[in-house]
Amino acid sequence: MAWQTINRNEPVFDADAPPVLSEAVREKIRSFFPRYDTKRAALLPALHVVQDTLGHVSWKAMAEIAEVLDIHPSDVFDTMSFYTHFWNHPKGEKTITACRSITCELLGGREVLDAIKKHLGIDEHETTPDGKYSLVTEECLAGCDHSPCMLINEKLHKRVRAADVPALLAAADNDKIDIPRSTLFDAPQESQRAGSGSADGKTDDQVGTNVAE
Amino acid sequence: MAKITIDHRVIECSDGIPVLQAALDAGWDIPHYCYHPGLTVVASCRLCLMEMQLPHPKTGEMGWVPKLLPSCQTPVRDGMVVRFDSDLVRDNQKSCMEYFLIDHPLDCPVCDQAGECHLQDYSYKFGSAASRMADQKHTNPKKDIGPKTLLYSDRCVLCTRCVRFTEEVSGTHELCSVNRGSRQEIDVFPGMPLDNPIQGNVVDVCPVGSLLDKDFLFKQRVWFLDGTPSICPGCSAGCAIRVDQNEDVVYRLKPRFNPGVNDWWMCDEGRFGYKYVHDAKRIAAPVLRRGADATTPDWEAIPEIVSYRFAQHVAKHGDDKIAVVLSPMMACEEAWLLVKFIRGVAPSATIATGFVPTSGEAQHFPVGCKPDEAKFTILPEKCPNRRGVELITERAGGNTCDFDAFVKQAVGGAYSGAWIVGGYPDEWVPKDLTKATKHLKLLVMQDMFENTLTEAAAIVLPACAWVERDGSFMNHTGKIQPFERAVRVPQGARRDGQYLFEIAGHGGLYSGERVREMMAEEMSEFSEVGDAPPKPVHQH
Repeated sequence: MAWQTINRNEPVFDADAPPVLSEAVREKIRSFFPRYDTKRAALLPALHVVQDTLGHVSWKAMAEIAEVLDIHPSDVFDTMSFYTHFWNHPKGEKTITACRSITCELLGGREVLDAIKKHLGIDEHETTPDGKYSLVTEECLAGCDHSPCMLINEKLHKRVRAADVPALLAAADNDKIDIPRSTLFDAPQESQRAGSGSADGKTDDQVGTNVAE
Repeated sequence: MAKITIDHRVIECSDGIPVLQAALDAGWDIPHYCYHPGLTVVASCRLCLMEMQLPHPKTGEMGWVPKLLPSCQTPVRDGMVVRFDSDLVRDNQKSCMEYFLIDHPLDCPVCDQAGECHLQDYSYKFGSAASRMADQKHTNPKKDIGPKTLLYSDRCVLCTRCVRFTEEVSGTHELCSVNRGSRQEIDVFPGMPLDNPIQGNVVDVCPVGSLLDKDFLFKQRVWFLDGTPSICPGCSAGCAIRVDQNEDVVYRLKPRFNPGVNDWWMCDEGRFGYKYVHDAKRIAAPVLRRGADATTPDWEAIPEIVSYRFAQHVAKHGDDKIAVVLSPMMACEEAWLLVKFIRGVAPSATIATGFVPTSGEAQHFPVGCKPDEAKFTILPEKCPNRRGVELITERAGGNTCDFDAFVKQAVGGAYSGAWIVGGYPDEWVPKDLTKATKHLKLLVMQDMFENTLTEAAAIVLPACAWVERDGSFMNHTGKIQPFERAVRVPQGARRDGQYLFEIAGHGGLYSGERVREMMAEEMSEFSEVGDAPPKPVHQH
């Protein structure tokens, strides 16, 4: 498509607008620095922190992360775009991630995906007009033994049936998990290090039932 | 030194270099995209894979490893045995080439790289004629990634040489590779385009037609171009370059491998700084003035006219009232011939070194590095041969001075006759020197563009651009490097070397090499300049 040109010379955000990363977010990113030899190594935690706070990683947010980590914004763009987990544009309040991998497909994953699309009236990579749900598909959610499965935000739903979809999507607490994954990315606290197991005393197995791994 | 066996042939090479490098140096044509000797090794293109012998873990017997190994990432060890001439290696090359061409638009007829493209060459040599790809190709628009460069993502093989160049050599990090898998492409952060003083090199390192110069885009098919080895006159670094021309029009300059000077790189200032060569305002014919009367004499008459004028002047005003200003844009040979002539007619004439244009400070790359760790440096002295001209001035002995002293003395009326050489692409004449022309009864100006001095001169001789001359420049470290003539002079002009050769009393054709032989008799520095430029260490 050499007859079409994308112009990369023009900025895509207003550099003079107020920053999108609050000082608290910046401080949280900085709290990861002691973990690594270099500042740039904190890029992945930083992207998680920003996405968890703002819902997506905008161009301006990328430039600000680069500023905090002392790297070029293109390095942030490079890493960020590798992971489908990170969103560059605003997503809905809740993100539905349906599995399209072989195990789920064999056990009715396609029907579940179709039911979601029909119920919400949106296609993949789209957001409902009321901003409530965004829909994406992912290769595997690491829950093959409970196929078909899907994520609503960070909550893993197992053995979903197409008929259950309307009720599931109507439930207000369908994304409620005991330990938000984002806390796992916090810099380790001394108190947590001292105790065994995870922060709330659950065993790893129990954590696994609530958290997408 | 290590001895290794490649395809049953034993070769000698330095220890620890990549096997690929050793094979390329020894004459093998091993296909490769991601490997570049000036960048780190990533072994991502998988084209250079080879077979290697290793001892069997149980019996210790030497045998071929079943797995292919990347030759770019495997360092040479003494006694190593590898091969490229096996079915396994050839099958891999074939599969890789098919894979590289899966999404390729095959738009060679409109692609600037066609003719010097390694997708074409390798596909012909190592690939297969047909693709089994039945699905629709991924297509993506081209990207305007900077003021001087375009990125055709469709044609990219994702070798990431350009990304590594901006990370490791320029240190500016503009380029990155975004997305992954079949959607991966090279990009910049929007609004932060590829715009650094040495960005043009990303076009050179690109093995395919993905990164292209806007300046050269659609100007010329590369098979019409003839390349001539030359030296960049843009600054005193003396980067080795190749001048690509067709029918006496220069279309582009490319860097040549020159270890220790510019390695594989050149700056944009030099790369695009040749445009003045084809400026229509250039002085293209000699001018002879008698009062208000200006004529264009025949070139054949010039040596006699010049010699006669100087002889007459010396007879009238004495030989110590004459000065000659040697421009640092001149080749060593030309400066030497001029000095020979002047000292021949006026033994106590003053030899002055010319105006040295400077701009800013030295720029070291990667950006922010210490000067002694720089991989590439752009020097502030914007002329190629200050040291050469200084050397010739110094060896001439007798009355010599620098440019500032010359201007001061000329304004004071110390000279009544002068031969001033310019040849700068930009405006250069200092105001004081213009004032001094009223004292100069005989002024010979050798310059490229009209200025206040050429207007006042009795004789104006056209100075030619370096691509039209041949000779040698001495760079800032004192390395003397020869350059060859790439294009013919504009109609009506003559090479500086040629008319200076004749004025200095020699017959026949001027050649830099011939004059260097004469110079070598009194200056040993010039005895070994004729050496061939170093061979490129790898094909691309």
